[in-house]
Amino acid sequence: MIKKKDIASLTELKDGQTGIIISVAGGKMLTKRLADLGLTPGTEIMVLGGLLFSGPIQIEACGSKLVLGRGLASKIMVELR
Amino acid sequence: MTDERKISIVLAGQGNTGKSAIFNFLTGLHQHLGNWAGKTIEKFEGTLFYKGYTVDVLDLPGIYSLTTYSVEEVISREYIINQKPDFVINIIDSTNLERNLIFTLQLLELECPIILVMNMIDLAKKKGITIDYQKFQSIINAPVVPTIASRGTGLTDIIDKAIELAEKKEEYKVPRYGKEIENCISELSINIKEINLPYPERWIAIKLLEKDNNIIKSVRENKPEILEKAKRLSENLEEIHGHDSSIVIADERSHLASQITREIVRITQNRKISLNDRLDAVTTHKITGYLVMILILGGMFLSVFSFGNWLSTWFDSIFQNWHGWWDINVGITFFASLGWAAIESVLALVQIALPYILPFYIILYLLEDWGYIARISFLMDNLMHKMGIHGKGCISFIIGFGCNVPGCLSCRIMESKRERFITAVLVTLIPCSAVSVIVFGLVGKYVGLLWALGLYIFAMIMVFIVGKISSKLLLGEPVELIMSMPDYKTPQLRTIIYQTWDALKEFIYIAAPIVVISGVVIQAINLAGWMPAISSFLSPVTVTWLGLPAITGILLIFGILRKELILVMLAAYLGTTNFSDMLSSQQMITLAVVSMFYIPCVATISVLWKEYGWKKALAICILEILFAILLAGIVKRILDFVF
Repeated sequence: MIKKKDIASLTELKDGQTGIIISVAGGKMLTKRLADLGLTPGTEIMVLGGLLFSGPIQIEACGSKLVLGRGLASKIMVELR
Repeated sequence: MTDERKISIVLAGQGNTGKSAIFNFLTGLHQHLGNWAGKTIEKFEGTLFYKGYTVDVLDLPGIYSLTTYSVEEVISREYIINQKPDFVINIIDSTNLERNLIFTLQLLELECPIILVMNMIDLAKKKGITIDYQKFQSIINAPVVPTIASRGTGLTDIIDKAIELAEKKEEYKVPRYGKEIENCISELSINIKEINLPYPERWIAIKLLEKDNNIIKSVRENKPEILEKAKRLSENLEEIHGHDSSIVIADERSHLASQITREIVRITQNRKISLNDRLDAVTTHKITGYLVMILILGGMFLSVFSFGNWLSTWFDSIFQNWHGWWDINVGITFFASLGWAAIESVLALVQIALPYILPFYIILYLLEDWGYIARISFLMDNLMHKMGIHGKGCISFIIGFGCNVPGCLSCRIMESKRERFITAVLVTLIPCSAVSVIVFGLVGKYVGLLWALGLYIFAMIMVFIVGKISSKLLLGEPVELIMSMPDYKTPQLRTIIYQTWDALKEFIYIAAPIVVISGVVIQAINLAGWMPAISSFLSPVTVTWLGLPAITGILLIFGILRKELILVMLAAYLGTTNFSDMLSSQQMITLAVVSMFYIPCVATISVLWKEYGWKKALAICILEILFAILLAGIVKRILDFVF
């Protein structure tokens, strides 16, 4: 379900949908680990696809592909494009 | 000027950038593999003789950043700062410039001389990416060398550049961040100048704002007042930006990286959907992905096992007369028999390494170089998470089916100690090729193939249950999967051969001494005539609880050396391979279950010892012995109803 102002967690996006990172609802370590991979607020992320039974999701950001674990992806809040 | 012209360089970069390919090209056979002091992380060093120079090359571990999440990152950072190599060669994946640049910026902060190597420019070109190297060079103020490591293109240019620069010392400009951050840095730098630490002042200032524990500790020992000032400045930054100051800095790097990328990169053509994109879509699809994976892994196991079986039979036919030859020519004394036990252990090692481990590694590294291994981790992440580890652990499992030794070694790819340990424990429960000899040679042949396959499924269920339990027992947060998904590329034979060779060498170094020593010891016990005593000592377990013949006590002791010895020695004892003469179907299944789980073989124990210390290795052995006895006893009682 997409909430008001079109902000959703990354796991709520459909395949092929794009969003811009607003915040990461995780600890400092996690946020920093993502930032070192270029996933900082303001970065555009496209969801490439997930798997059956809610596994990890594959995304494209900064011109390359990344795989993020489900729990982690659900902590990344994005604004829908 | 003729002699002793030395240059030292280190290779630094993220994984999948072709770093090892460059290292192998430069150093060739002049490599030595060691360990970082006190760590189980491999240290790759090598030497290159080029144009009258001796170039020492060190390959740093592949890492994403220079903050302190992992041991590898700390090692790399400390090495660059303390050893002050002449050049840090930063290898960049040109198809993935922006993400790689974040790491480059961190390297530049260390104020060491850097040469940037833009690798895989052919792949970037295919993707329609053009990079303005001149502009890049002037922005970053460090030399840029474009290369295609897989073909060797441009690799000598790296060393030419290093030699050229070694002769004229240049000043390096560090990247500048936003104004507020720069103000904080310069304010802190004033005070940092007063203390004497081996690090650049500006870098210390940045690390203090990033709240780096190691640096905070060093500063506290020297001048704790600085920390208060850093704290005030950090809070200031946090007020302006609304996040933790460490994230403000990381953001700044990431923004600078994307700004630089925008300035130097042109995407010249609309990306066509290439064959690789289609392949990627199929191999990571929620349904076809799994089908392809089953096909690939099934094909891999089938080909390795049939090849292994063939080659190992061939070796058998060659080695079979050697024992007789030894007895005739050396004699049948106590020491001659011990000598033969040592030789037999070496032969056994050859018979597992060449037929099974070698082809296994070749296919594995082929899949890795192609880019498929990351897809398996992706597809299996969900299932692996249920055992408290993430998708990458699946790779260790796959290797474990071939041999538990490299399986346990490969657990190093897991990020945290906790996950590394859980993965290793689970790998020891995976039926390796030696165990499959028992399962198929005993159960498959005399009880039925379906029973043998059933045992495999049973083993996997046990792995799952033990994983579930150990992830509950070993406290700690499960680490989430973060992994970059490499593009598919043509595998390079050279890379595969080097990696296979390194892995095989490590297997032999670790396994050989222990296998030989324990082979001799057990033979000595046998010759001393203690075996009957041992088998009657074990009979309450083997005969009463498990319902097996008393001889199995001795077999299980020899099985610690190599699991398949259980079957080999049983055949020797019976004087025939028709095991149904002695064992009922029920006993065969019970014996197979015990053999699967009862203890890791000595070679695996030696890896567990080396990687996790003797206490943990011992604990695993004891727990698995108890587990296997309990489990097999229950299985036996259930089978009482079936047969």
